[in-house]
Amino acid sequence: MEAASIAHTAAHDAHGDAGEHHGPPAAHRSSRVEPQLLGMLLFIISEIMVFGAFFTAYFFIRVAQGDPWPAPGMHLPLEVAGVNTAILVSSSFTLHWAEQSIKKGNRFGLKAGMLTTFLLGCAFLFIQINEYANIGFAPQDQAQATIFYSLTGLHGAHVFIGLLLLLTVTVRAFRGHYSPEEHRGIEVPGIYWHFVDIMWIVVYTTVYVI
Amino acid sequence: MSKRTIVGTIVAGVLATAIGIVLSYTIKWFPPQASTQAHHTDTLYHVLVIASVPIFVLVVTVILFSIWQFRMKPGEELKDGPPIHGNTRLEVIWTVLPAVLLLGLVSYSFVVLHENEKKPAREMVVEVTGRQFEWTYAYPPSVTGGAPLKTTQLYVPDNESVDFQIHSLDVIHAFWIPAFRLQIDAVPGITTSYRATPDLLGSYPVVCNLLCGVGHSLMRSTIHVVTPAQFRIWLKHQTSTPASTQ
Amino acid sequence: MVARLRAPGLYRAFLGLALGIAFAAGLTWLVRMATGHATYSHFLNEEAVMAVSLLSAPIFFLFGLGGFDYWLYWAAGRPTRPEDHSGHGARSWKDYFRINTDHKVIGIQYTVTAFFFLLVGGLMAMLMRAQLAQPGAQFVSANTYNGLFSVHASLLIFLFVIPVFAGFANYVLPIMIGAPDMAFPRLNALSYWLLPLAGAMMLLSFAAPGGAFADGWTAYAPLSIDAPIGQDFFSVGVQFAGASSIMTALNFLVTIITMRAPGMSFFRMPLLVWANFATSLLVVIATPFIAASQFFVLLDRGLGFNFFNAGKGGDVLMYQHVFWFYSHPAVYIMMLPGFGIVSEIIAVKARKPIFGYRMMAFSLLAIVGLGFTVWAHHMFTSGMPSWIRIPMAITTCIIAVPTGIKIFSWLATLWRGVLHLDTPMLFTLGFLVTFTLGGISGVMLAMLPFDIDVSSSYFVVAHLHYVLFGGSVMTIFAGAYYWFPKMTGRMFDERLGKWHFWSTFVFFNLTFAPMHLLGLEGMPRRVATYSAQFATANLFISLASFALGASTLIFVYNMVTSWRGGPHAPANPWRGMTLEWQVSSPPPIFNFDRIPTVVGGPYEYGVPGAVHGILVPSPTPATVGGSAGSSGTVFHAAIE
Ligand code: HEA
Ligand code: HEA
Ligand code: CUA
Ligand SMILES: [Cu+2]
Repeated sequence: MEAASIAHTAAHDAHGDAGEHHGPPAAHRSSRVEPQLLGMLLFIISEIMVFGAFFTAYFFIRVAQGDPWPAPGMHLPLEVAGVNTAILVSSSFTLHWAEQSIKKGNRFGLKAGMLTTFLLGCAFLFIQINEYANIGFAPQDQAQATIFYSLTGLHGAHVFIGLLLLLTVTVRAFRGHYSPEEHRGIEVPGIYWHFVDIMWIVVYTTVYVI
Repeated sequence: MSKRTIVGTIVAGVLATAIGIVLSYTIKWFPPQASTQAHHTDTLYHVLVIASVPIFVLVVTVILFSIWQFRMKPGEELKDGPPIHGNTRLEVIWTVLPAVLLLGLVSYSFVVLHENEKKPAREMVVEVTGRQFEWTYAYPPSVTGGAPLKTTQLYVPDNESVDFQIHSLDVIHAFWIPAFRLQIDAVPGITTSYRATPDLLGSYPVVCNLLCGVGHSLMRSTIHVVTPAQFRIWLKHQTSTPASTQ
Repeated sequence: MVARLRAPGLYRAFLGLALGIAFAAGLTWLVRMATGHATYSHFLNEEAVMAVSLLSAPIFFLFGLGGFDYWLYWAAGRPTRPEDHSGHGARSWKDYFRINTDHKVIGIQYTVTAFFFLLVGGLMAMLMRAQLAQPGAQFVSANTYNGLFSVHASLLIFLFVIPVFAGFANYVLPIMIGAPDMAFPRLNALSYWLLPLAGAMMLLSFAAPGGAFADGWTAYAPLSIDAPIGQDFFSVGVQFAGASSIMTALNFLVTIITMRAPGMSFFRMPLLVWANFATSLLVVIATPFIAASQFFVLLDRGLGFNFFNAGKGGDVLMYQHVFWFYSHPAVYIMMLPGFGIVSEIIAVKARKPIFGYRMMAFSLLAIVGLGFTVWAHHMFTSGMPSWIRIPMAITTCIIAVPTGIKIFSWLATLWRGVLHLDTPMLFTLGFLVTFTLGGISGVMLAMLPFDIDVSSSYFVVAHLHYVLFGGSVMTIFAGAYYWFPKMTGRMFDERLGKWHFWSTFVFFNLTFAPMHLLGLEGMPRRVATYSAQFATANLFISLASFALGASTLIFVYNMVTSWRGGPHAPANPWRGMTLEWQVSSPPPIFNFDRIPTVVGGPYEYGVPGAVHGILVPSPTPATVGGSAGSSGTVFHAAIE
C-alpha cells in the first residue's frame, strides 16, 4: 500500500502539475466516453421517454379505444409531409458532411454544411406550420386531432430546439471555432439533430402512413 | 452472547408472534360483513395478517436483540466487529423464502378474487350513476317488471346477486360499499361494474371514494338490504308514487 | 443601481421576473389577436396571462440570475471567461443566494431549501389535522382543505423528499468517489435554482383566484381539467421540479460513470453512490412521463384539447396510466437514496462490513427494473381492463423480494457488530421498524380483493406515511445528523438528537398506526369531514400529530443552534472509511489537493490493515484504515 501511494504520487508528478495549484485537481477519467457525449445520450433517453408518453396517448386513443384514424372528415396531407420528411432526412446528411469536412480541416465544407443544414431545418419547420394553417381541422375538434397536433407539435418543438443548437454551431463555425482536433462542439448537438430526424420518421409513419 | 440468550430470544419471538396472531383475532377490524364477498375478503385479510406478524416480529426481535447484546460497552470505543462479508446460503434463503411466501399469498388472493367475481346463475342489474355530488340509481324493467325506475334510494333484496353497472356524468367518482368490501370507480365515458351478493339485512353506508370536488366528502348514500318480499313492496311503492321517482 | 441590475444576481433576476410577466401579457395578446378562434374570444385575459407567466417568468428569472450567461457567451462564439473558480465556495451567506457552481454550496442550498419546505408542508398537515380533529369541523372550508392536502403532498414529495436526497448526494457523492466536483457544475447550479421557483409556485397557488390546486397530488383528469386556475400552478410547478431532478440525475450519472478516482471500481463504490446511481436511472427514464401528463392537462385546460374529454373521444384512464408510470417509480426515487444512507450508517455504526455488499447493489438495480412494471397497482379499482390487474399484482409482490434482501442484509450487518447507538443510528434502526411495517401494508394492498376494499381509504394514507415518513423521512433525519458535522464543521447536540428521535418515533406511530384501522372501518381519504363514527380515532390522531409536529421543532432548534454555536467537528467523528471522512470538516474548497487512489472496499471495518482510499498529501496520516489501530490514530489526530 505504501508502494501504491508512491506509485500514485509518481504518476501524478508525471502529469506535470506538481506543487501548489489554485484550481481544483483534474478529475480522474474513469471511463472512455466523453462526459458531454454521455450527458447528451442520457438526455436523449429522457427525450425518447417524452415521446413515449405522447405515443402512449396515441396508443390509448387509436388502439385501445379503437377510434377511427384519421377521424372522419380529417384529411392528413401525406404527400406534403412526405416532402418534408425528405427535407429533414437530407439535412442529416448535410450535417454529417459538415462534420466530416472539419475533421479533414475543410472550413468551407463546415460552414456550407452547417448553413444548409440550418436552412433545411427552417424549411421543415416552415412547411410544418404552413400545413397546420391549411389542414382544415383544429385540435379542439376531437381526440384524434388532438393527438395529431400534439405529436407533430411536440416534434416541431424539438426541431426548434435543434435549430437553436445548430444556429449556435453555425455561428461559432463562422467565427472560426472548431478544428480537426477540437470538434466535439459539433458532434454533440449533431447527435441531437440526428435524433430529431429519426423521431420524425417514427412520427411520420405512425401518424401519417399507417 | 451465550446459547441461552439466543434460545431465550427465539422463545420470546415465537411468543410475541403467537400473541400477535391471537390479538389479530380479538380486534374488530371491519364493519359488518353484509355480502358473501365480504366473508372471503376478510378471511384473506386475516391470512395476510397471520403471514405478516412473524415477519415483523422477526425484524423487530433481531433489532432488539442486537441492541441488547451488541451495543457498544464502555472501553469498546475503538473496537470493530468481526469482518463478516456475507453468507451465500443465508442470502439464498432470504431471497427464496419470501418469494415463495409472496407467490403463495398472491395466488390465494387470485382465488378469492375469482370467487368474488364469478357470475352466478341469476342476478339482477342496478344502474348506478354518479355526478357531483350525488348518487342516483335505476332499476331496469327486468327488475321492476314495468317501467324502469329512477330513484335516489338504493334497496337490494337479501341473498340475490346484484350486478352494479356504474356510470359517471362528469368527473371520476368511486362507488364504495365498505360493508360489502367492494368498490370501483365511476368513470366518464365507460361503464364499470361489480357484483355483490348481500347476505345480511340492514342499512349500510355508500361512500364516494374518489376525490371529485368540493362536495366529495358529503357524497354519501345508503344501501338497504331487505328481504325479497320487502323489496317487492318497496318497488311497487316507488313505481306507484311518482313523487319519489325522478 | 443600474450596475446592479446589469450584473447577474437577484436584482436582475427580479427584473427578469417582471419582464417575464410582461412578455406573457404581450404573447397572449398577440396570439389572441392573430387567431380569431372562439377559444380566444377577447384579447387580454388575465387568466391566460397568468398561465403563460407561470412558464415564462421563471425562465426570465433564471436569465436574470445569470443561469445562462456562460452558455449565451459560448453560443455566440464570444470569448468565454476561463473558469476562474470564483463560483466556488461560499465566503458569506450571500453566496448562497446566487448562482454558485460549487457542489458543496449547492448541496447546502438544496438541503436547507428542502427542510424549509418540510416545515411548510408539515405546517399544512397541522392545519389539516386541526380540521379533522372533529367531524363537521369548519376550521377551513372544504375547498381550502382539499387545497391543503394537495399542496402538502406536492411540496413534501417534489420539494422535500426528492430534493433533500439530491442535496445530500450533491454534497458527499463527488467526495465519496474522489471527484473535485460534479461533471456539469453550471447545470448543477441551474437545476437547484429551478426548485425554489417550483416551490414558490405551488405555495402561491393559495393566492390564485379560486384557491390552490385541490385535486390531490395525483391531479386526476377530468377533475383537474375544469378546476380553477390554481391547477396550473401545480401542472407548471411540476414541470420545473421535474426538469430540475432530470438535470441532477444526468449530472449524477455522468459524474459517477466518468469521474471516479483511480481504483474506484463500481464494486468499490459506497452504497450511497450505488443508490443514487439507481435513483438517477429511475429519474431519467420515468420523470418525462409526469411532465407529459401535466402537458396534456395544460393543453386540455388552456387550449381546449381533448386528451381526457370523453365526449370527444378522449381517454380518461390514460391520464392515470401515464401519471403512475412516473409516480410509482417516483416512490422508489424517494426511497432508494434513503437505502443508501442506511447502508452507510449501519456499516459505520455497527463497525462491520455491509453484509452481502454485491446483493445490496444488485437488489437496487432489481428494484429499478421491477419499479417500471407495477404502476397499475394504483389503478386496481380504476375500471381499467380487469386482466391487467393480474400481472401487476404479481410484479408488485415480487418487488418486495429485493427490498426484503436489503432489510435482512442490514439486520445481518448488525449481528455481532459493535453498535454505536447515537442519533443517526437510532433513526436508522427506527427506519428498519417503521419501513418494514409500511412495506408489509404495501404488500397487503397488492392483494387484489383487499385493495378493492380499502383502496384510497385511510389504510392507504397509513401505508404511504409509513413508507414516506417512516421510510424516507427517517433516513433523511438519519442522514442529516450523520453528515451534519461534515457539512457544517460543527457537532450537533446529541441529547437533543435523542429527544428528537424518541418523540418522533413514538408520535409518528401514534399518529399513523390508527389510520390503518380507520381505513378498514371504511373512512375514505381526501375528505374534509367524516361521519361521526370515526370521531374519537381522528381526535386522537390529531393530538398525536401536533406532538409529532412539535418533535420536528426540536430538530430545527438543534440544527440551527448547533450550526451557529456547536463545538467544532473533527474530520472523521464516526471513524468512517469512505472518502468524505478523510478530508477536513467542512472539506477544503476543491475537496482534495490531489485525486486520491482507492485500493479497497468502502466498508472493510474490522479487517486488519484494510485501506479504502489513499490521500496524498493529506492533513491526516497518509493511510486511512478501518482497523482499530490506524483509524483510531486518525480519530485522535482529529480530536486534538
Ligand atoms: C417511499 C414510498 C413508497 C414505497 C417504498 C412503497 C412501497 C410499496 N408500495 Fe406503496 N405507495 C406509496 C409510497 C410508497 N410505496 C404512496 C405515496 C402511495 C399512495 C399514492 C396515492 O394514491 O396518493 C402508495 C400506494 C400503494 C398502493 C396503491 C393503494 C391504492 O391506492 O389502492 C399499493 C398497492 O399495491 C402499494 C404497494 C406497495 C408495495 C407492494 C411496496 C413495496 O415496495 C414494499 C416492499 C417492502 C417490504 C415488503 C418490507 C420489507 C420486506 C421484508 C421484511 C421481506 C419480507 C416481507 C414479506 C414477505 C411481505 N402502494
Ligand atoms: C414525505 C411525505 C409526507 C410527509 C413527511 C407527511 C407528513 C404528514 N402528513 Fe401527509 N401526505 C403525504 C405525504 C407526506 N405527509 C401524501 C403524499 C399524501 C396524499 C395526499 C393526497 O391525498 O393527494 C398525504 C396526505 C395526508 C393526509 C390525508 C389527507 C386526506 O386524505 O384527507 C393526512 C391526514 O392526516 C396527512 C397528515 C400528515 C401529518 C400529520 C404529517 C406529519 O408527519 C407532519 C409533521 C409536521 C412537521 C414535519 C412540520 C412541523 C412544523 C411546525 C409544527 C410548524 C413550524 C413551521 C414553520 C416555522 C414554517 N397527510
Ligand atoms: Cu364523488 Cu367523490
Ligand atoms: Cu406504487
